[in-house]
Amino acid sequence: MTAAALASEGGASAGGFPLLTSCVVLPAVGALATALVSRRRPESSRLVATIFAVATAALTVAVLVAFESGEAGFQMVERATWIRDLDVSWHLGVDGISVFLVVLTGVLFPLAMLGAPPHHDDKPFHAWLLLLEAGCIGVFLALDLFLFFVMFEIVLVPMYFLISGWGYANRRYAAMKFFLYTAFGSAFMLVGLVATAVLHARGTGGDLTFDLVTIASDQGAIAPVTARWLFLAFAIAFAIKVPLFPVHTWLPDAHTEAPTAGSVILAGVMLKLGTYGFLRFGLYLFPEASAYFAPLLVTLGVIGILYGAVVATMQKDLKRLVAYSSVAHLGFIALGTFSLTTQGLQGSVLQMVNHGISTGALFLLVGMIYERRHTRQIAELRGLQKAAPVMAGVFTVVMLSSIGLPGLNGFVGEFLILLGSFLTRRWWAVVGAIGVILASLYLLWAYQRVFHGEPDEANAGFAEMRVREGLVMAPLVALIVFLGVYPKPVLDRIQPSVEALVAHVEDHSDYTEPPVATEGQRARSAAPAEEGGD
Amino acid sequence: MAQYLPVVTLLALAVLFAALSFVASRLLAPRNPTAAKSAPYECGIVPSREPPERFPVRFYLVAMIFIVFDIEIIFLYPYAVISGELGAFGLVEMIVFVVAVFASFVFLIANGALDWGPSRRLRRVDPRVSAERTTATTVRRVGLDGREEAA
Amino acid sequence: MVGLLAQAGEAARLDTPEVEWTALAPVLVMIGGAVLLMVVAALAPRGSRVGWHAIVTIAVAVAAIATVVPQWNRVGDDGPFSVVAGSVGVDRFSLFLTVVICASVVIATLFTDGYLRREGLEGAEPYVLMLLSASGGLIMASANDLIVMFLGLEILSIAVYVLAGMHLRRVRSGEAAIKYFVLGAFSSAFFLYGVAMVYGATGSTNLVEVADFLARNTLADSGLLVAGFALLLVGFGFKVAAVPFHSWTPDVYQGSPTPIVSYMASGVKAAGFAGLLRVFVVTFGDYRLDWQPIVYWVAVLSLLVGAVLAVVQTDVKRAMAYSSINHAGFILMGVQAASDRGVSAALFYLAAYTFMVAGTFGVLTVVGRRGDGHHQLSDYAGLGRREPLLALALVVFLLAQAGTPLTSGFLAKFYVIDAAIESRSFWLALVAMLSAVISAFLYLRIILAMYGSSDDAETADGAAATAGPRLRVPAAAGIALVIAVVATIGIGLVPDPLSETARDATPELVASGD
Repeated sequence: MTAAALASEGGASAGGFPLLTSCVVLPAVGALATALVSRRRPESSRLVATIFAVATAALTVAVLVAFESGEAGFQMVERATWIRDLDVSWHLGVDGISVFLVVLTGVLFPLAMLGAPPHHDDKPFHAWLLLLEAGCIGVFLALDLFLFFVMFEIVLVPMYFLISGWGYANRRYAAMKFFLYTAFGSAFMLVGLVATAVLHARGTGGDLTFDLVTIASDQGAIAPVTARWLFLAFAIAFAIKVPLFPVHTWLPDAHTEAPTAGSVILAGVMLKLGTYGFLRFGLYLFPEASAYFAPLLVTLGVIGILYGAVVATMQKDLKRLVAYSSVAHLGFIALGTFSLTTQGLQGSVLQMVNHGISTGALFLLVGMIYERRHTRQIAELRGLQKAAPVMAGVFTVVMLSSIGLPGLNGFVGEFLILLGSFLTRRWWAVVGAIGVILASLYLLWAYQRVFHGEPDEANAGFAEMRVREGLVMAPLVALIVFLGVYPKPVLDRIQPSVEALVAHVEDHSDYTEPPVATEGQRARSAAPAEEGGD
Repeated sequence: MAQYLPVVTLLALAVLFAALSFVASRLLAPRNPTAAKSAPYECGIVPSREPPERFPVRFYLVAMIFIVFDIEIIFLYPYAVISGELGAFGLVEMIVFVVAVFASFVFLIANGALDWGPSRRLRRVDPRVSAERTTATTVRRVGLDGREEAA
Repeated sequence: MVGLLAQAGEAARLDTPEVEWTALAPVLVMIGGAVLLMVVAALAPRGSRVGWHAIVTIAVAVAAIATVVPQWNRVGDDGPFSVVAGSVGVDRFSLFLTVVICASVVIATLFTDGYLRREGLEGAEPYVLMLLSASGGLIMASANDLIVMFLGLEILSIAVYVLAGMHLRRVRSGEAAIKYFVLGAFSSAFFLYGVAMVYGATGSTNLVEVADFLARNTLADSGLLVAGFALLLVGFGFKVAAVPFHSWTPDVYQGSPTPIVSYMASGVKAAGFAGLLRVFVVTFGDYRLDWQPIVYWVAVLSLLVGAVLAVVQTDVKRAMAYSSINHAGFILMGVQAASDRGVSAALFYLAAYTFMVAGTFGVLTVVGRRGDGHHQLSDYAGLGRREPLLALALVVFLLAQAGTPLTSGFLAKFYVIDAAIESRSFWLALVAMLSAVISAFLYLRIILAMYGSSDDAETADGAAATAGPRLRVPAAAGIALVIAVVATIGIGLVPDPLSETARDATPELVASGD
């Protein structure tokens, strides 16, 4: 497997139905359609939005079905010139790294929409949500620097309006903080992005282009020292989005103050924009610089794991606790990504999906609790298990997945990450593993305080999970169990792309993957399913 | 730089002269001020009443219109002298110039710049303002207007 | 008769330049239209209900745009040319800016109509002055001689001084006019000094000859020339509101009638940049190492001062004045690049910015209500509920100014950043983007104010928000807002036509044929 495989644009359905474009355009059209529904009929706007969201989910699943496992390169590539002047094109493609994130986005949006309806102004809420979905899918599919940036930026606007319009008490501050933090990062990225394109054109002596595949395959056009600076410019934007340790402070505010659907999408999908960006625009675009800065980013990831876990333990607010747990989980993903081993990368891609499912589900559950009790203070909740056993059961499964209990999805991802990082960054992995223990500490402790014990007066009347809520949670729980027991189909599709990416990094830097990794790789690919059941 | 020397000398002389004049008058002139002498527009006579009513602004208007036509004439004279040499180009230029001046003259006339009398054709009378408003009330109004807004 | 006279003077013919009237058509149409409108309006009976003044003004501006089309093609076929003894150049650069300036006149006129009715100031004078001012801008865009440039600058400026004081009953309007006039006269004097210095250094005021001289000779002592650069920069910097020549901007923008501000921020700025680009990038291109650092720092200061001071304002109009300073900084990046890419980026920015800023001030005009005084942030509370469409239009303009993708503002910023990076000004590009983030804070604050729900304790007059006065959007203003929104989003989605036009519109200096 060479790096050339990454650049190869073999496609299953090239020239056929523009499946990927439809995935981006359909929700955007849905947003417009929802916005055009009469303001006096909120039910119908909700119906229209749901139809579009479900249809988009179906399309993303169709992408997964059409996706050929075993291919490392981009599939279903679609390309159309957008701005001739700059050679910017509407260039979409999907590979093993992005395909599951696209599906995750497609599935999570309708669930968030149905699971956490807004209390007022249904129409704009749903319209913004659909626009957000279009942007998120666009980010995962974009194979053009310019297009990627456009999508990366455009998601800010709907999310800003969602937080500031439908959030909780401190929403304005949180929305502003979220927007400005991310825009600050994007400022660096835009400059880095333009500089990449310009310097690439100058290095090759060709015309200006923003095509990701072209620039990434012309490694050497940009001097390594310059490439490191450019990588840093991108890394700042992604680190804020992930968020990595020193620039994470927007996250607790935004997650806590956002409406439930917003939190689900923020944690489930939008944080992945950063980690995905590291893979696609860090490792792929700047392999040498990625290897150079890997120690720094791994360190930040490990700090995030410990810091997130410790701070989560101290939280009094259930939602804030979940938010800080995200910081820890995303630290794991960063650790896996910059371990630069096949297992580590595979684990981080899988963990992105896992975190999306389990944290999304956790936010939905916290939202349900808030709906009933109008408080998120752990101290005010008690004994919910007695009043609502089914909900407690669902909460337990989701929470255990988040902790990383073997048999559930979280374990597979975390295990692969720790395995991969142990090969190249032994001590970081050891420290990171402590995070797993801390995760069980804060989540189990919180569970104990909220669900155990005798319910007091206020909590005695806590309503059981409704059918609608159950239907929203069911697919998430099913995915949690399925991915935990049988992750092979997912890993099979992720593996070729990840291997090609590692090979790409090896080709263009002095980094070589330790032999154990490839050894273990062979051993593991013989029976990959055993990981999960272990 | 030598050719600038006369200019510099003249400049120095001018400054010197002004300074000397001031200093000399300060040193030599007898000073015994009285209230009448230090009053503005001093001429030794104590003003018996406030300065008379305002000067109609139309005087200025007429003066300004006059200047415009004055300048037109000033341009026409040299043109008349060399109109032959300038040829068609000069003619077109002068026509443009004259038309421009004439158009503004039409504008002035139509807006009552030369109407000399009570504000018969007062433009754009604000319906909120009574017909018998006078200069004095208008001035007060305008002044108040601003202050209200500023506050 | 002309022939007769010509024959009579055959004996001692003075050397008079050939005047190719068709080449001057846009300027002639604007000035002729202005004079005609002035005379007809003076003679016609007053108090007509129909806003024919505005209609005539728009017709004149559109006619001027129409005259550009054949010339654009002609320049494409035969290359740029110069007329009136080489003092006026016709190239695609000047034609492009002609269209931009005329478009800003059209949009500002549409807002002015409703404004004058609301304020009880009906009359043809504002339109006449706007047309005259714009014709000054056109002269600046096509000037091939520093003296002609100065004439254009003065025609442009003097009319705008009067327009700033158009609202007779607002003291602030008068204050704005006086301030603008006094400071503007100062800057014109600086400009004239600069012309004199350049003349002293190069022996000509004609840009072709100046460029020629500079290309062929190396000045042993360039002190005089550099002083000329600095003084010219003061003159232009004042017109485009660049720091440190910006101090008039907030007061004048705040005090002037709002639709006039929309013209000032778009048309006047475009004219100022037209001069700046032609004089500095093209004429003084060989001496760019001397002036680039100055422009670099002026750009940095404009970006930062504009953004930071915009954020601390509570008066929206004043805040927008500072934000226009920030935008001037962005366009200056295109100037600083001193390349074809930089010029076309600046042109793209000017064209896109014209619609954004004119639309923004158009919304401000409506929200200002009778008296043009309601521009506090609190006046915007609940606008999203009271006037959803108007608020949405303002959101589009503000997001475009913030540089959100899929709007013209993003591409405009993208192009200037591209030009800056092309000329290796990485730090300038970074400062620019960071300043954009800072000013995004301002735009978001306004959006938050508009969409904050009435139960919010943070809004000072939350109760008044939903019960606020109903705003009347005049039909003409509505049309203008639609045009501006469509242009802002349209350019953002399909930038190719504009960007390719801007790329074609490189300024060239051509000596006169004779």
